[in-house]
Amino acid sequence: MTNAIEVEDLTKYYGKFLAVDHINFTVEKGEVFGFLGPNGAGKSTTQRMLTTLLTPTEGHIHVFGHDLAHDAYPAKRQIGLVPEESNVYTELTAWDNLMFTAKLYRVPHAQRVANVQKLLETFGLWEKKDIKADEFSKGMRRRLSIAMAIIHKPTLLFLDEPTPGLDAQSTRAIHDLVRQLNAEGTTVFLTTHQIEEANQLCDRVAIIDHGEIAAIDTPERLKQTFQRVQSIEVALEPDWKKHQQELAALPGVITIIKAGDKCRLYTQDPSALLLEFMRYVEEQKLRIVSLSTLGASLEDAFLEITGQKVGTIQHKTAPARKKRGKGGRQ
Amino acid sequence: MKNLITRIGDEVSLAWTVAVKDVKVYYMTPPMIMFGLLLPLFLFFSFSIKREIGVDVGIARLLALTTFFTASSAGPVIIPLERRTGTYDRLLAAPMGLGTLLLGKTLVGAFFATMVSMVPLLIGLLALGVTVADGWLLAVGIPLASLAFSAFGLVFASIPSQSVGSIMMPSTLVRWPLMFISGIFIPLADMAPWARILAYISPLTYAQDLMNHAVLGAGFLNPWLDLFLLPLLLVLFLIPAARLHQRARVLGY
Repeated sequence: MTNAIEVEDLTKYYGKFLAVDHINFTVEKGEVFGFLGPNGAGKSTTQRMLTTLLTPTEGHIHVFGHDLAHDAYPAKRQIGLVPEESNVYTELTAWDNLMFTAKLYRVPHAQRVANVQKLLETFGLWEKKDIKADEFSKGMRRRLSIAMAIIHKPTLLFLDEPTPGLDAQSTRAIHDLVRQLNAEGTTVFLTTHQIEEANQLCDRVAIIDHGEIAAIDTPERLKQTFQRVQSIEVALEPDWKKHQQELAALPGVITIIKAGDKCRLYTQDPSALLLEFMRYVEEQKLRIVSLSTLGASLEDAFLEITGQKVGTIQHKTAPARKKRGKGGRQ
Repeated sequence: MKNLITRIGDEVSLAWTVAVKDVKVYYMTPPMIMFGLLLPLFLFFSFSIKREIGVDVGIARLLALTTFFTASSAGPVIIPLERRTGTYDRLLAAPMGLGTLLLGKTLVGAFFATMVSMVPLLIGLLALGVTVADGWLLAVGIPLASLAFSAFGLVFASIPSQSVGSIMMPSTLVRWPLMFISGIFIPLADMAPWARILAYISPLTYAQDLMNHAVLGAGFLNPWLDLFLLPLLLVLFLIPAARLHQRARVLGY
């Protein structure tokens, strides 16, 4: 079976700076594939190469079996792209934006009008179809941008940071749409630094760091890999902050962090820590408002892999890297 | 063969789609008004007032100036604006070749220039009593010159920048000398031989000569030579434009 995306030794230099370093991965047809990484890790550069916006320095990309370097046209017809910034034409109405995009992707005339109407209704923009996008809110532009990306019913959809800055309702609507498109057979390549979003939506995730793929697996397997990082999350009355030092000194606590109105005690042995914690609560006559034990989250796995600061994790010394940096447009 | 014909048809249709969209989006943007409409007018008045030239000579001169500056401004205005808003990415990601995209951008520049040049032409014809010696030459010459100059502008638009100013500055540095060495202010016939050789470097020379043939009924060069050279210049400008835009894509623009 042909994969949706096959990447071999993909490399990008901006001048002397290495932005993407000989990465390899495949995205299977029909999966939601998350592409995670800290800022400047090479996420956007990789996605721009996958969508033909940027020419790679080395390596090969095949989209549905078509080599993008020599046979991009049939691949492009199957790709939809939602960039990080909603790149709608603000001088055009919602209707004209969609009609223009439909023409770009050679949607047949009879189908064009029907598709535009359906998408405007689906995205709650029908009433605003004759209003210029300049007058739209950020959320409305985002919806229009997504509608423009799927007007030709792509079989591979690239979403670059689809939800930052959106309200909870819009975010949920976009997540539901991704699930629906995926259920209808669309392969989704989701670039995000919102780990929970990837956790909720993705079948597999790749973590890119310093231009290299650091890990590729399902979210659950990645979490299991770092299962040694567990925690107890508690809310106490009176406020736990008055007991912060004592809690941090309990046997087995690696570190303590604030988690909203709760505190999270990281440990490698939650059952032993739980006994110590209960003993302390009884001695101090504290009341437990809530208590839960947490396994490693995808965020913990991500931070461990990318070597970033997380309260509990013992950092390995990062190996010496080649000099690299960013260039071009970010 | 059938696939190839279908593909070529698709690409031409897409270039047209891009051009129509650009006309809708950019026809009244401030940079287009400034660089494409007002600048040629200022230049015309700066170098023509008190020079005792005939109205018909002035109209022929203004037509050449308008096509040159308006057409060559379209790409340098539109492309950095689209890079900044991200809409250029939308076009690059669409199923069409880079050449098709540049052809669309060439068409829109030519369209703007042709439309803007209608203003002095109509004023000349309706208000100033100017007569056109060869209407067909004018009807063919203005779009041809506009196409060539629009492709010329695309060469500058390949500069990897999202700022109109960053592209307009080098563009102006080249266009103004080309204007001064052309036969637009000093007729080719009155130039010294060495100056005339210099004038032949400027693409504006051939547009001006063609406008002289069309409006005044007389030029310095054979009008067929002008008609041959302008499409040739279109191709000669499109080739480096395509290569430089491809280069910009390597750099991430």
